Parts: sequence; C-alpha cells; structure tokens
Amino acid sequence: MNKLLVAYDGSKQSEKAFRQALELASKFSAKLVALSVVRPPEPAVAVELEAVLESATEHYQGLFKCLKELAESRGVDVRFEVRVGHPADQIVHMANEEKVDAIVMGHRGESFIQRWLLGSVAKRVLSYAHCTVVVVR
Amino acid sequence: MAETWMIATIWLGLALVATLLSIWFGIATALSEIVVGTVAQLLIGALIGGAVLGADVSWIKFLSGAGAIILTFLAGAELDPDVFKEKWKEAAAIGLAGFFAPFLGCAAVAFYILHWTPQASWLAGVALSTTSVAVVYAVMLEFGLNVTKYGKTILAACFINDLGTVLALGLIFAPFTIKTGTFVGTSVIVFALLPFITPRFFKRYGGRPSELEAKYLLLCLFGMGFLASWADSEAVLPAYLIGMVLAGTVGKDHMLIRRLRTLTFGLLTPFYFIRAGSFVSVAALIAAPVVFLILLAAKMATKFVAVYPVTRLFKREGKEGMYTTLLMSTGLTFGSISALFGLSHGIISTSQYSYLIATVVGSAVVPTLIANAFYLPRHLLEEPKEEAQESGAMSVKEAKLSSLNGKIEPASQ
Repeated sequence: MNKLLVAYDGSKQSEKAFRQALELASKFSAKLVALSVVRPPEPAVAVELEAVLESATEHYQGLFKCLKELAESRGVDVRFEVRVGHPADQIVHMANEEKVDAIVMGHRGESFIQRWLLGSVAKRVLSYAHCTVVVVR
Repeated sequence: MAETWMIATIWLGLALVATLLSIWFGIATALSEIVVGTVAQLLIGALIGGAVLGADVSWIKFLSGAGAIILTFLAGAELDPDVFKEKWKEAAAIGLAGFFAPFLGCAAVAFYILHWTPQASWLAGVALSTTSVAVVYAVMLEFGLNVTKYGKTILAACFINDLGTVLALGLIFAPFTIKTGTFVGTSVIVFALLPFITPRFFKRYGGRPSELEAKYLLLCLFGMGFLASWADSEAVLPAYLIGMVLAGTVGKDHMLIRRLRTLTFGLLTPFYFIRAGSFVSVAALIAAPVVFLILLAAKMATKFVAVYPVTRLFKREGKEGMYTTLLMSTGLTFGSISALFGLSHGIISTSQYSYLIATVVGSAVVPTLIANAFYLPRHLLEEPKEEAQESGAMSVKEAKLSSLNGKIEPASQ
C-alpha cells in the first residue's frame, strides 16, 4: 500500500477516519492525501455561491493546520486538498487521479432530503471507487 | 413603533427559520426563503390574517427593493472582465441564443396556449429567459472546466444572457417618454465615468472605519435606482450594469465585497425573497397545476433547443453538453425579480405571478435533480486522460483565491 486518500469534512466521524488513515499510512509507510469537498448549495445562487466557497475554503484550511500537526507527530507525509462539487464524485475522481490504493472515510448520517438530493456519500463511493474503500464507523 | 418592531421580529424569525432549513437540507438560502415566505403567508393568513405579515408596508418594500438592487450589483460585479473581453464574440452567440429562445418561446406559449395578455406574455418571456451564472459556475468548478476556453465562454455567455434579461425587463415595459431618454442618457454617462472615478475616489478617501466605500456605492445604486423607477423602468437594470462596469475595480476589493455581502445576506435579501414568496397563491397553483407544467416545459425545451446545438458546435461530448444545457435551464434571482416587477406594476395577476415563481423555482430545482440522477458521477470516471488533463478538476490547492477579488483562479493561468 503506497498511497491512501482520506475524506475529511470536519465531522467527528471524519476525524476518526483521519486517525485511522494515519495509522494505516504509518503502518505501511504510505503517503496520505486528505481531501475536503466544498458542496455548493442546491441550486447554486448568485453571490451566495462565491461566499460559500470562500467561507468553506477558509474553514478547511484552518482545520488542516491541526491535522498537519497530528500527521507530523506520527511521521506521516500528508497533502491536503480542497475541491468543489459533489463529495462522492470528487472523492472517487481524486482516487482515480492519484491512483491511491485505498480510500478511508467516515460514515455520516445524512438526512432523508440530503440522501434524496445527493445520495449517500459513502454508498456512492463504495459503488464507483476502483480501489479498496474503508468506511470508519 | 411597537408594530414595526413586531413585524421586524416576525420577518427576522422567518429569515432565521429559512436559513436553518437551507443548512439542514443543503439548499440555497434564496430558495428556502421563497418557500418559507409562501408557507408563512399561507399559515399566518389562515390563522390570523394576511395583513399581519405586512408585505406591503413601505419599509418592508424598501428593504426588499434594496436587497434586490445590492444583490444584482454583486452578481454583476462577479463578472471577470478579462474573460469577457477575450471571449465576448463566442459568448455573445451562446448568451443571445440562451436569452432569445426562451424569451420568445415562453412569451409565445403564454400568449397562444395560456391566452395571457400581450404584456403578461412578454413578462413571462423575460422571467423565464434567465440563466443562473452561479449554477453554471459551480458545475464548471466541479468539472474543472472553468479554466478551459469552453468553460470561460459559457460563463461569459451566462452574463450576456442575464444582461439580456435585465435589459428586456428594464426597457420593454418602459413608456419611452422624455423620462426614459433622460434615464438612458444619464445611465450611459454614469456607466462611462464610474470605472474612472470610483477607484481614484476610494484610493483617496477609502480604507477607513467610516465605510465610505459602502456609502458611495449605495448612493450610486439608489440614485440610479430612483432614476430608473422615475422613468417607469426597473431599478435592478442600472444595478446590474454598475456591477459589471465596476467588476474590474470594486469587484476585486475582496474585503469590500465581503462587507456588502454581510449587509445583503444578513438583512436585505431575506426581506426580498420572503416577500417574493409571500405573494405566491398556493390556491392558484393547486387549481391549475397544468399552467406551471406548461411554462416549465416551455422554459426547458426552448433553452435546450437554443443551447444544446451550440455546445455541440464546441465539440463537447454528448453528456457534458447535455449537462451544461440542463444547467442553463436554471434561474432564480432574476426570474423572481422579473415576476415581482410584473406583479408590482400590475402587468400580471397574483395567479400568473404564482405560476411564474413556481416555474422559476421548478426550473432551478428540476434540471439539477435530473443532472444529479443521470449524469453523475460517470462523467468524471469516463473522461479521457487527455481531456482530464486539459480540464483538470479544480483544486483549490492548485488554484489561488485571489486576495484582491476573491475569485477562484488557477495559479498557472
């Protein structure tokens, strides 16, 4: 196992997933890529979209500082990225692009409406990913 | 005064509920506010009386109108002038097709099939001719197309499309008197001078806690809004154009735009969208849902006919072109502004307004749902290698959030 992708959205579940990914990366001496996805509101509306993107990007960049310290303490090489779009699509797309060996992600309980509008993120990643997917509960 | 505070409390309470709903469901705040406004009017009207909400009280009208004006200004200021200058010819072809097809098509459907009056039919055409720049931009970011020629052209086309909508709204219903001439003449002079005067004025006196910049912009927007209203035109027309002409200067002042957004989202736009929703007659929609369906079908079909062949001309793959086309069917802000203009000027009835708002909301939601259901996520997985490298999904790490204008731009552009 050379490279891992961990999906991080700032939730407690994704923090657990990040810690799990660190453990795996440390064990296999693998590189780690942490991905956060900014999801535009449905439908995106003028002015609000730009505000949401900026605010979310700043939010994640703040959180990445803590994660980076954690990774450094474990001696794991980690790279952080923020992308825009549907979380499941971007996770799968980046996993393909980076040719990672496994995706590590948390499982969040989305509301009925969110599942209806977007589908379960974990389920979609499991359906479309071309590599091993670890869902941390 | 107690009554004023009570009404303000009710409206801010509704705004808070709408914001919470938008957070829980992951939907746009504007959409949530329109729906909350409709439901609130229905419930409060049935339980206490429609007048309690006070949608026609003068200060509510002012806050609502100011919200529409500043929101439109900010939308215009999001234009990237460099992209626009580079791609304006191609963008004009797509943008004008995207405007005229639904404008003429929907007006014809309203007139010949729904038997609306000529004025109401034109207004239906204007309200349904819009395109949401934001939705298209969001998809461009998702595909990484915002850095390609195709993406830039489509984005510029959306601005042309919306400019067509705003010009049509501002001029079709104007009486073309001496007042109209005064308004147009003054506008041309103001739009020509603002890009030169504004940055110099801000450089000399700006950057102070007294918020001179905000006051100056509000003065320009309200002044031109007054002139437009005095000439029986629409105040958002100069606001959008001022936003566009200042996009290269004020639009790049990231902190100023942020402060204006706080004012707009925190206080003004909730009044605008909740008020727009409060005029919707649910009874009319239930009585004749076919009208809504006909208008929605007309809007989507005319956009499709106009835009899909053009996206094919750019040699985009079928699904991607289709996806773009579906998203070009979407419009919320300008659609609701046009419909509310029609209602407040007596061009359309409450029923017709309700059908138009329902169609605008429907056209914002339905294409997104279809696109999510049928065109994702395979488009990303099946993308050929070369194409993926050209477009490259937008990464904020690879890109930079420009410290000047807050627009996401590729670092290597």
